[in-house]
Amino acid sequence: MYNPESLIRKGLPKGHIKDRLVRFSLGLVTYLIVIIAALLFFKIIKDGAPVLLTTKAPYVDLGFLLDKNETLHVFHDARGQRHQLAASKYSAYVKDHAGEPIYNERTFSYSGGGIIGPIVGTVLLTVGSMVLALFFGVSAAIYLSEYAKQSPFIHAVRLAILNLAGIPSIVFGLFGFSVFVLAVPVITSTPSERTLLTVPLFIGKAVLSFQGWNSSLLAGCATLACMILPVIITASEESLRAVPQGFRDAALAMGATRWQTIRTCVLPFSIPGILTSSLLAITRVAGETAPIMFTAAVAAKDDLPWQSLANPFDLLSSQVQALPYHIYTLAARIPASEFTQRAQYGSVFVFLMIVASLSFGSMLLRAKLRSKLKW
Amino acid sequence: MPQTDQVPHRFSKHGFSLEKAIRFFFASNAGLTIVILLLIIAFLLKEGLGFFPGYRRELQVYRIAGLEFVDLSRSNLSAHEQLASVLNRAYFAEINGLCTRELKRSQEAAALFNAFSDRSSATRELLVSNLGAGAEAHPDLLATLRKNHAASIHQALAALPATPHLTSAERADLLQSIATRDVTATDDPPLVASLAQQYAAAQQQQSVPLARLRETIDAFEAAGADLSVLVSDMTATVTATKEAIQNADILNKGRASLLAAAGHAKDPATRERLLTDARRSLAANPDIDAPMQALMLHKPVCCAAHTALRQACATILEQLPPTLSQPEAQRLLRAARSATGPFLANLANTPQRISEWRHDQPVPLSAAIGSFLTGKDWVTGGEWQDFYGILPLLVGSLMISLVALCLAIPAGVGAAIYINQFASLMEQAIVKPVIEFIQAVPSVVLGFIGILVFGSVLRDISQLDALAWVPGFPIEERLNIFTAGCLLALMSIPTIFSLAEDALNNVPAAYAEASDALGASRLQTSFRVIIPAAFSGILAAVLLGLGRVIGETMVVLLVAGNRIKIPDFSSGIGAFLQPSHTLTGIIAQELGEVPLGSVHYQALFVVGILLFAIVLGINATAHQFISRPRN
Repeated sequence: MYNPESLIRKGLPKGHIKDRLVRFSLGLVTYLIVIIAALLFFKIIKDGAPVLLTTKAPYVDLGFLLDKNETLHVFHDARGQRHQLAASKYSAYVKDHAGEPIYNERTFSYSGGGIIGPIVGTVLLTVGSMVLALFFGVSAAIYLSEYAKQSPFIHAVRLAILNLAGIPSIVFGLFGFSVFVLAVPVITSTPSERTLLTVPLFIGKAVLSFQGWNSSLLAGCATLACMILPVIITASEESLRAVPQGFRDAALAMGATRWQTIRTCVLPFSIPGILTSSLLAITRVAGETAPIMFTAAVAAKDDLPWQSLANPFDLLSSQVQALPYHIYTLAARIPASEFTQRAQYGSVFVFLMIVASLSFGSMLLRAKLRSKLKW
Repeated sequence: MPQTDQVPHRFSKHGFSLEKAIRFFFASNAGLTIVILLLIIAFLLKEGLGFFPGYRRELQVYRIAGLEFVDLSRSNLSAHEQLASVLNRAYFAEINGLCTRELKRSQEAAALFNAFSDRSSATRELLVSNLGAGAEAHPDLLATLRKNHAASIHQALAALPATPHLTSAERADLLQSIATRDVTATDDPPLVASLAQQYAAAQQQQSVPLARLRETIDAFEAAGADLSVLVSDMTATVTATKEAIQNADILNKGRASLLAAAGHAKDPATRERLLTDARRSLAANPDIDAPMQALMLHKPVCCAAHTALRQACATILEQLPPTLSQPEAQRLLRAARSATGPFLANLANTPQRISEWRHDQPVPLSAAIGSFLTGKDWVTGGEWQDFYGILPLLVGSLMISLVALCLAIPAGVGAAIYINQFASLMEQAIVKPVIEFIQAVPSVVLGFIGILVFGSVLRDISQLDALAWVPGFPIEERLNIFTAGCLLALMSIPTIFSLAEDALNNVPAAYAEASDALGASRLQTSFRVIIPAAFSGILAAVLLGLGRVIGETMVVLLVAGNRIKIPDFSSGIGAFLQPSHTLTGIIAQELGEVPLGSVHYQALFVVGILLFAIVLGINATAHQFISRPRN
């Protein structure tokens, strides 16, 4: 951000026409990127904001945020008036107006009602994967920054982090599918047919069966956590290393053990930095589609994740809707028409607002942190 | 980083201690990254490596059943059909070119009428359904419906397409006739019908001097009839054989798993039962020799048919006129001529390939691998034969990456140079967050924009008359390689920008100061000192951007058009405006639909392995550049 060189060299002569020409063309390219980005946001806000925002209090169309996703029915009644109703309201309408004819009925999948299901699903996936990734990632970062010395093991760990960071998200999808969906162990009394291996546990009929968690919230969280792990480790290690060495030396000199030093003198000062950079990681986790396509996401679901569960743990083993997958479905599987625009642009607008506020929040926090923590 | 070695406290026991346990806990978490990487590799290989033997078996069946033999003739037949269709298109392009005026007039009138019907259809259907026999609608309701329909007619009439080739009197007449039209009428308005008749008459008239060309094309089409009958005869035989072999394979597999289960069964009764089941399911070995002998009897007939077809085609194609008057027709004729040579050459050497073909030639594993790596067809779920050739997907991925990099390198590196070398602090404070913001935009949102907005905008631009000189314009498909490349460029600009800017920032200040002190201008310092010094870092930034582009899934899945075909390079740079499919897209699209463990499923994992290898290779090269010491 702050580049002292550019200040020192500010006084140099500006040069002649060639200098200006190069400067101008490079500036043009730069501002072209900015303009394209602005156009993109403008388009989404222009078409999406009217869906969500209303002119009357509470200024937000809560129905779109809080209703379940349904099929949209568009039809004319006998008086020639057009109706657009989501499936549940449509069946109520048909019941109320029994015997009246309906004309030109058309249905649009996924386009009626609201998007509470995808929003909740994305929140669950994000929270679950961030909990996993932060736990393992920060622990790994503590080892790398506080304990590790040059050794072949550390070299291998760094190489693995570097490689993991570059793997395409669809390959993580394949990995999650073949490992978490099809191969990880579960404790069950009735192992599935495709199990890879069963290990008897000698407790009743229960066996440890390597048959996977099926497509489920847990499998999706685990896949996303693996994907984001290198980002979390790198960011956390950076935050830990930013804590001055003197803090550690002082604590150790007072007779604290290594773990006491970390717990009282290193972690508390690095936690703000870790959390700030994990906000950026959240935007990535929330936005990814490819890893959850085969591991957790489902296009249509009648209930919210916690409804109609036999026991609370079934939440982890049920499929969820997710906002990015919902947008993919809306973009790829249904034709664009005036009736689907509300669902399409509305969902994208909500999604972009969530991601933008996370990313903006992370930027603000980082700026604040920089001014506050100066050692 | 602590420099002091941890000295165990004098009184702490050697061996287990809490500190050691904590240390071990953290170390094992760090080791988790290695475990995950190894798991990824192991499971990709586990699911994917079964592909090559499985594919080899499929290719073997393809040969044993004789499908390969039939394909020798089929490929020529389809080439013949393609050539005939090109000639037909040339013929009609010539005729339509000669009666452009009638064609345009008829098309415009019809388009006007269709636009009108589309816009007023909703209210019209509503009215008609209430008017029909048996519908006893209330008069008030009918009045409302009529009023609604009148309003929609009024609206529709207000916004109709322009008709430059119709006189204003004709247009007024047409508008009059559609405005006063009976709601239940289904025939075309008189002017539309008469213009269609005029067009047909003009076509008739123009086709008289072209009768000779028509005869030539008809003769060419007819020449393929013998071979076509022969191929469809053989097709029936070989598909039956293939099915028999596949059924036997399935039975054998079931039997093997029954036997394996019997081997594991502890209970003698169960074992006996499983063994009996296995014995019962013993597949009768399918009879492949008899149909094969029948097929081999076709060999001489096939050869003769090819020779005859070749001679017929050679003489017929010579009778084609040297030139046609319309440019489009002339282009198609030239395309047909250039396709003629390879077509005839193929026909000439097919008899020899037919007579040399043997069904019992073994298919080595290398043939399966070769067919995967160099195959031009990715055909799955078909009735004839599945092929898993990676080439169309690889070419699609590479072409999209090429477009993306061609746009993103100048933009990303240019912006980095500008921001690092020329921009004021104020500009830096604006541009950097914006570009960081682009990075946060999820790829599925970009894909959404591409499919709903950008694709259509690009097509509209390409249809402008002023841009007709651009190769490939006007574009046929709004979702194509170029559209996907543009969006991926936007995605990779932040990566390239921030890494390139870092690289420029890391050049020691002394370099710039020394250069300034020697009297260099700003431009000289930037372009001859700083950028060369940061070059390896910039190159690494570009490579990491490439890694991101190749591995990106959602944008290409939504925007690249998903047609599994190597683009037609004969149209030059226009090949970049054709739809395509990609390595990442094919996995995302097909993995949800394939049966677990099938050859197709394994093929998708092999594509994943390939992708993994490509991206890791690119990233490793990039990190080489980053860590290389600056000289």
